[in-house]
Amino acid sequence: MTAGNFVVIGAAIGLSAGVCGATLPRSSRVIAAAVLVWTACALEAIAAIHVLAGGHPISLHSSELLPITGVDVVLTPLGAFFVLLVAVVAVPATLHGIGYACHGLDSRLAAGALPIFITVMLLVPAAGSVATFMVLWELMALLSLCLVLADHARSEAARSAGTWYAVLTHTGASLILVSFLVVAAHANGQSFTALHATHLSPGLRSLVFLLAVVGFGSKAGMVPLHVWLPKAHPEAPSPVSALMSGAMIALGVYGIILVGDVVLGSGPIWWWLVVLAFGAVSALYGSLHAASSADLKRLLAYSTTDNVGLVLLAIGASGLFDATGHLQLAAVAMVAALVLLLNHAVFKAALFLSAGSVQVAAGTRDLDRLGGLLRRMPQTGAMFLVAAAAVCALPPLNGFVGEWLLFQSLLHGAGLGSTAGDVAIPLAVAALALTAGLTVVAFVKAAGIGFLGRPRTAGAASAVEVPLTMRVAVGLLVAGCVVLGVVPTLVFPAVERATRSALPKISALSLSNGVRLQLGDLRGVLEPTALAVALVVAVAGINILRRGLVHRPAPRLAEPWGCGRELQTARMQYTATSFAEPVQRVFIDVLRPVQDVDVTHAAESRYFVDAVTYRSTVDDGIERALYRPVIRAVRRWGLAARRLQPGSVHRYLAYGLGALVLTLIALSVAR
Amino acid sequence: MTSSVYASTLGLSAALVLLCAVVTLWRRSLGAIVKVLAVQGAALACVALAIGFHEHDVGLEVIAVLVLGAKGVVVPTLITRVVRHDPTSRESQPLVNVPASLVAAGALVFLSFAATRSVTALEPTTAGRLIPFGVAAMLVGFFALATRRKAVSQIVGLLLVDNGVALVAFLATAGVPVIVELGASLDVLLAVVVLRVLATQMRAHVGSLDLDQLAELHD
Repeated sequence: MTAGNFVVIGAAIGLSAGVCGATLPRSSRVIAAAVLVWTACALEAIAAIHVLAGGHPISLHSSELLPITGVDVVLTPLGAFFVLLVAVVAVPATLHGIGYACHGLDSRLAAGALPIFITVMLLVPAAGSVATFMVLWELMALLSLCLVLADHARSEAARSAGTWYAVLTHTGASLILVSFLVVAAHANGQSFTALHATHLSPGLRSLVFLLAVVGFGSKAGMVPLHVWLPKAHPEAPSPVSALMSGAMIALGVYGIILVGDVVLGSGPIWWWLVVLAFGAVSALYGSLHAASSADLKRLLAYSTTDNVGLVLLAIGASGLFDATGHLQLAAVAMVAALVLLLNHAVFKAALFLSAGSVQVAAGTRDLDRLGGLLRRMPQTGAMFLVAAAAVCALPPLNGFVGEWLLFQSLLHGAGLGSTAGDVAIPLAVAALALTAGLTVVAFVKAAGIGFLGRPRTAGAASAVEVPLTMRVAVGLLVAGCVVLGVVPTLVFPAVERATRSALPKISALSLSNGVRLQLGDLRGVLEPTALAVALVVAVAGINILRRGLVHRPAPRLAEPWGCGRELQTARMQYTATSFAEPVQRVFIDVLRPVQDVDVTHAAESRYFVDAVTYRSTVDDGIERALYRPVIRAVRRWGLAARRLQPGSVHRYLAYGLGALVLTLIALSVAR
Repeated sequence: MTSSVYASTLGLSAALVLLCAVVTLWRRSLGAIVKVLAVQGAALACVALAIGFHEHDVGLEVIAVLVLGAKGVVVPTLITRVVRHDPTSRESQPLVNVPASLVAAGALVFLSFAATRSVTALEPTTAGRLIPFGVAAMLVGFFALATRRKAVSQIVGLLLVDNGVALVAFLATAGVPVIVELGASLDVLLAVVVLRVLATQMRAHVGSLDLDQLAELHD
């Protein structure tokens, strides 16, 4: 059996999983669909690994499946890397979905759409022509929209989120379509190789590139097109959020690499400065809002924007180095981008799935209503802490490796001679550093407020550990965080091959040397395994020393987290809002929080206060400044247009007559 | 049939079709309007018959008889039944008053002559030169549709449009195939039946045949 058959059979099994999900009885549909999806993921992953291990790119064509254009499947190493990434998220997400099912994933629509959504995502990176790509891309958008709306009957917020997502994703898709069509109009055929071979004028090339960046950016959650993320991710069922945040967003980035590097084959410096700027702004804006969000999944959604910003930063830097002729650096930056994406997929999926577990167990995802979950859900809590540490890029976890590579490429790239780069790169380093700090604030808050301290509500107090499948799903991903952090060189051959497929100018690339990362000719070595071992030894050593040397006083019973005080209530703890307050205060000009203090006085005298309520909400400034005026204008136009149709039959007939007469007048005058 | 008789018959009948259209704008009594419609149907049949004789086309002569039956007799009878329920009903307050309507009709006739110059230049036969009459009849019918309040006037307006289109078809192509003409006639018949049912329902529910009452259904 050739590798191409794996792709076809995998796709067929994935689709049959969708049919099973939509037709089987409620008791068995989720499990049956999940098992079939795992098979499909395994088959597609085998094909992808075959390509990444040095096999020929898979190339298939069928003229029956789509009229006129046919379907082209071309699995390059770059695409294969993304197929693997999708599979890595999809398997734990569906496993988690088995336990999560009764919370909005076991309806016919959701159980049928989820497997097909996953299958389509597995196939998007394998699309070899514009028509195939756009069909799959639109399917992906529509199916994910169905899944965001899975809970629409109960939740007004889900309906609103669905509208936002639909509008933004379809705006993006239309821009992508225009971008591809401009190239295809000048190309000999519509396959990506034919597109690569065309010669366009510089103006058209720039137009194509900018349209693609904005179009794919809307899918990737790039600022200012990110506004659907903090709405759709919280409302979607958690396995769906994990898939959308971990895998679908990576495909948006894939699109930018596809157009920028594969189809257009790099370009002028300013293109990549634009990408760099989008990346830096997204990273800062995302991490800032993550630090000030009190809703756990909203926080994770903003953190997704933050991570996509870092990836775009790396891609922009890679393009910049490529355009200025520093191929080795360009390769390192592209490797950093891909590693960051893979790591993001793993830890963000783990976090979204844990957030889903928390929501199932405690009934809310509002951090201000949680607390003390580590004691009640020890395994989920511990795994959340590890994943949160990975997001914060703490060694020896996987987040560290990606950010180390990005920092290395940026630091080596500063001062290489091009003026624009010399200004942009140090700014990018500064943005990266600030982002890293704000991310730590956000996740210290998420872990500390949510899992430590004492429960703030009865729901949090009565939380119990979730079923085994959900814990195993998160556990797989967290194990991935640790493995990718301790022995990242496992995946480096694959990443390097994908990088060479994205940047064909690079002939040889080898950053891994045993378990050691070595940046070729550049100075920079990382021994992640040694680092991990040293860390474990140091922690163990300190513990042993402390136990052996320090005299411990006899234990004294006191209230937990009591700080020595006698009377202690859950309301005396820090809340998520109060923890974020200092950050909000520093960035008050960007965040513009709306604060509201209500003082109720006692009836007897104004000198006595009955109650004080304090509310502080942070809404998205970009949504307020950029989108609300557009929505208001559209609404005004809509209301004005209603005057055109007052319900009078005669008015409508008069429109017809008027149009006809005008046409005839135009006809007789024009001649 | 000599060519001069042919030309004058054709010209007279076509002009009569247009004249009938204009007269429907002038008359207020619904009963009279329906009679004018019957005359128009007969004139249309006359056009088809003249072309049929001239071209020695038996199919067209058959169609002429069919048109006479459908548009000259059956359809007017059907509409008369609606009118009979309310014999005094008049188009008392059209949205555009009668003198202004007649001026507008004049402008529409002028427009149709101006707009069809290229068509008549393309086909400078006796029949081809009369095409503007058909277009004018259609536009006047459309105008009646847009400015008359009563449901019956609306049905008549629709039939005027259809007769205008049929006249253009006869003049421009020397008759469409029988099957197409049959289809079109059946279509019109069906539309008349539907509108009749609608008018009856309207009278039952709204209490009059004034279409403006339907605006309440909006919102």
